[in-house]
Amino acid sequence: MKNGPLFLLGILAALLFSWAGIVLGSNAQLGALPAYYDANDSLSYPRRQPGIAAEGQIVYRELLCSSCHTQQVRRPDFGSDVARGWGERQSVARDYIYQAAVQLGASRNGPDLTNLAGRKPSAPDAADLMNLLYAGQGGMPAYRFLFETRRIVGQESAAALRLTGSLRPRPGCQVVPTRRAQELVAYLLSLNTTYDYPESKPAPAQNPEQK
Amino acid sequence: MTSANPQANPNDETPVEATGRCPIVLLLAFSLAWLLVSGTLAFIAGVQAHTPAFMAGCPILTYGHTRALQDTAFTYGWIANCGLALVTWILGRLGGHPLRAANWMGVGALFWNIAVAAGMVGIATGSATALTSLQIPGHIQPLMLAAYASIAVAGVLAWCGRSRPSLYAAQWYGVALLFLFPWIFSVAQVMLVWAPVHGVLQAIVEGWYAQSLWTLWMAPIALAGAYYVVPRVTGRVIPGYDLALLGFWSLIFIGGWTGGRHLIGGPVPAWIPTIAIVASVLLLPHYIIVLLNLGGAFTRNPADREGGRSLAFISFGLAAYVLGGAVDSVTGIRSVAAAIQFTWFDEAQRQLAVYGGVTMMLFGTLYYALPRLAGRAWASASLARGHLILSCIGIVLLVVGTAGAGIVQGSDLSTAGVSFAAIATDVHPWLSVGSVAHATLLLGNILLAINFAMTVGCGRLRAAAEALSS
Amino acid sequence: MSVPDHKDPRPEGAPMNDGELLEAHEKLLGRQPDDRAKYRLLPLVMLFVLSGCVLFAATYLNRYSGHFDRSIFNENLLPTGSGPVDLKPDPIALGRRMFNSGGACYSCHQPNGQGIPGAYPPLAGSEWVNGAGARVVRIVLDGLQGPVHVGGKTFGAAVMPAFGSSGFNWSDEQIAGVLSYVRQEWGNKSKPISTDEVAKIRALTADHKAWSEADLLGVK
Repeated sequence: MKNGPLFLLGILAALLFSWAGIVLGSNAQLGALPAYYDANDSLSYPRRQPGIAAEGQIVYRELLCSSCHTQQVRRPDFGSDVARGWGERQSVARDYIYQAAVQLGASRNGPDLTNLAGRKPSAPDAADLMNLLYAGQGGMPAYRFLFETRRIVGQESAAALRLTGSLRPRPGCQVVPTRRAQELVAYLLSLNTTYDYPESKPAPAQNPEQK
Repeated sequence: MTSANPQANPNDETPVEATGRCPIVLLLAFSLAWLLVSGTLAFIAGVQAHTPAFMAGCPILTYGHTRALQDTAFTYGWIANCGLALVTWILGRLGGHPLRAANWMGVGALFWNIAVAAGMVGIATGSATALTSLQIPGHIQPLMLAAYASIAVAGVLAWCGRSRPSLYAAQWYGVALLFLFPWIFSVAQVMLVWAPVHGVLQAIVEGWYAQSLWTLWMAPIALAGAYYVVPRVTGRVIPGYDLALLGFWSLIFIGGWTGGRHLIGGPVPAWIPTIAIVASVLLLPHYIIVLLNLGGAFTRNPADREGGRSLAFISFGLAAYVLGGAVDSVTGIRSVAAAIQFTWFDEAQRQLAVYGGVTMMLFGTLYYALPRLAGRAWASASLARGHLILSCIGIVLLVVGTAGAGIVQGSDLSTAGVSFAAIATDVHPWLSVGSVAHATLLLGNILLAINFAMTVGCGRLRAAAEALSS
Repeated sequence: MSVPDHKDPRPEGAPMNDGELLEAHEKLLGRQPDDRAKYRLLPLVMLFVLSGCVLFAATYLNRYSGHFDRSIFNENLLPTGSGPVDLKPDPIALGRRMFNSGGACYSCHQPNGQGIPGAYPPLAGSEWVNGAGARVVRIVLDGLQGPVHVGGKTFGAAVMPAFGSSGFNWSDEQIAGVLSYVRQEWGNKSKPISTDEVAKIRALTADHKAWSEADLLGVK
């Protein structure tokens, strides 16, 4: 190997090869993936997030929640995702087309959040999530800095947390979520994949071996 | 302390040291500083992993932040600085001429480290990108690219102006990594930060970047050093050298294709993980060839104690690197992936590769290079031995502890009835082993930093004294 | 920490210098593979390893590629047929959504299909739901008024609105979906209702007012 330019060209070609194959190849397939229009509902799916939820996604990213939580449900015969009630179907590419920063996540020190707001039989509500963020639970640390402890002036705030036991603030005080906490919770409550796309439940196609 | 000026070793002093000493040693000093930062953060993250309340009240050091900061300090602080310094040194020596553009290198080193520090501040204050291996905020990334170019120009010039037309294996890897990083880094920047692609494509590009960074940049850094040091110390040519070419090109051509390996079962078309699995199997010959070529590191001459130390680090790194490659292809198989995906096992694999493999080989190269750069032997042999022992123990503990946690977590996760609180209890002992391992590694690296400071600093002090007295 | 002068002055033994290193390996790369018997076996073994890997890789790729289709997420499946994936939504999924959507079925009959005792009749195990398709289709299309007997109890207080007309205007497909859903949910095991069946009955009963139990019992 003596020819410098040829060597460089080879390296460039090698990189372009994998880039074209993986990045451009998938971009050609998924880059313009449209929403799915359902004529029966006269709506297209996935639905766009409300504004405050989009703000909340930024908080989710800033706090790097994705280091413990995934946002991808695997199909029923692949792991226990569906059995744990994280979703009723596998996540598909179309679920993510409106997300500004897709955070599939790579580790599950905590539960999957893909379908947090659409869980059956009971999805958590805002108060549950606020309490969880404030108090922590099991392997999840408390995120106290997303809350403020304030003196009650006049009436107690409607947003104040209903805390019990040792977490209850001093008399005359209340724990109020900051704007960031409200955005984060709004984002978490916007996470659902309850709509079934045609490709998320593919018809049991012929097995290649039986062909 | 006797005089040990560079002229004392006429057999191994080249013009490269005379011209490039300052910037190279500067890069090495930065790299060791980052190694200590990363080690401290790794310890904090390790404790947080099993005791979530640890420092949870500090918004800068939430678990997510600690992990991202640690990864950034390690990759862009430690590996980048040390790797670029040693690769430039090797390219310079094999080029056979004085190092050109050494000043560019020094300036680049300064700006690179300013950029990494600014990036760390950005991550801590909440501007992280949340992309694997690319957490540094977008607005700092162009500065890193410019600084990298400025550092790399010396290595590229040494390669262009080499005195012999033929290229040795260390030069293939060295030149390739110098060019490949800016390419993959800028592609990732454009496609993920400046003009983000849509939907799950982000995850695909992210996977491609993270895997390319590993196979096309970190692994070549380690291999360039090992391919240079092993024959130099053993005095024997590389066995099966004609296969080395195959080993090189298979890594470069196939490496990037492993990008989908973390997307198995995920919301991407099935062919993407399938190709990644195929690619990691096709990389197996690369690992076999590297093991064959560098196997000489396992046999060392007891008379050559310092060379033997380099080889001890490199042989450990080599074993970890090859083992990591084998584990990668096994865990790619979908049924295995289903059981251990999203668990600590993944982290164990990563630590085996980037710490056990790359970092240990870098240590070996560093132990070989610094005496030549500083013009004197390492200040303390016992500190170096302590570093070796602590590193080996630390890595074994770290990988075993984390992998054990991963296997326990994987089997718990696959049983739908096991709650997360129960999983946290189950993995607690294994993760405690992990944080002990992080402490051990940090201790070892402190020894290295002290030894480095003594070796370089004493020489500096003496030179200053001589300059004053003359 | 001193370096005695009488020892090798080099920081480490350097048995091979840079020039020798380059020269020796340059020669190695240039020579023919078989001019020294020592390494002859190595390439052969590597060839076997390499072909083994390539064979595995090719087989795996062939088996699990999903034909590189963008809508195949399960590697065991292949794209259906030759045309694009059938874009018709699953009627049961559609029905579940209709049942649970804005104030329609679930608010009276409850998400568990049990209704409210004394006010709204249950759907789970109901002889009407599981009975003749022609009757349930009519109930949903045009509504139901007056007392009705379900499972031995009488419900008479409430009125079931017409979903085929008035404010709801559900399509044949939606009505078929929701009926298929309630006929197979909560332990019900009746046959689904097809869109064609709904369309036929809608044509037959155009402009019909809400049904009563007696009228329905006359429908066969």
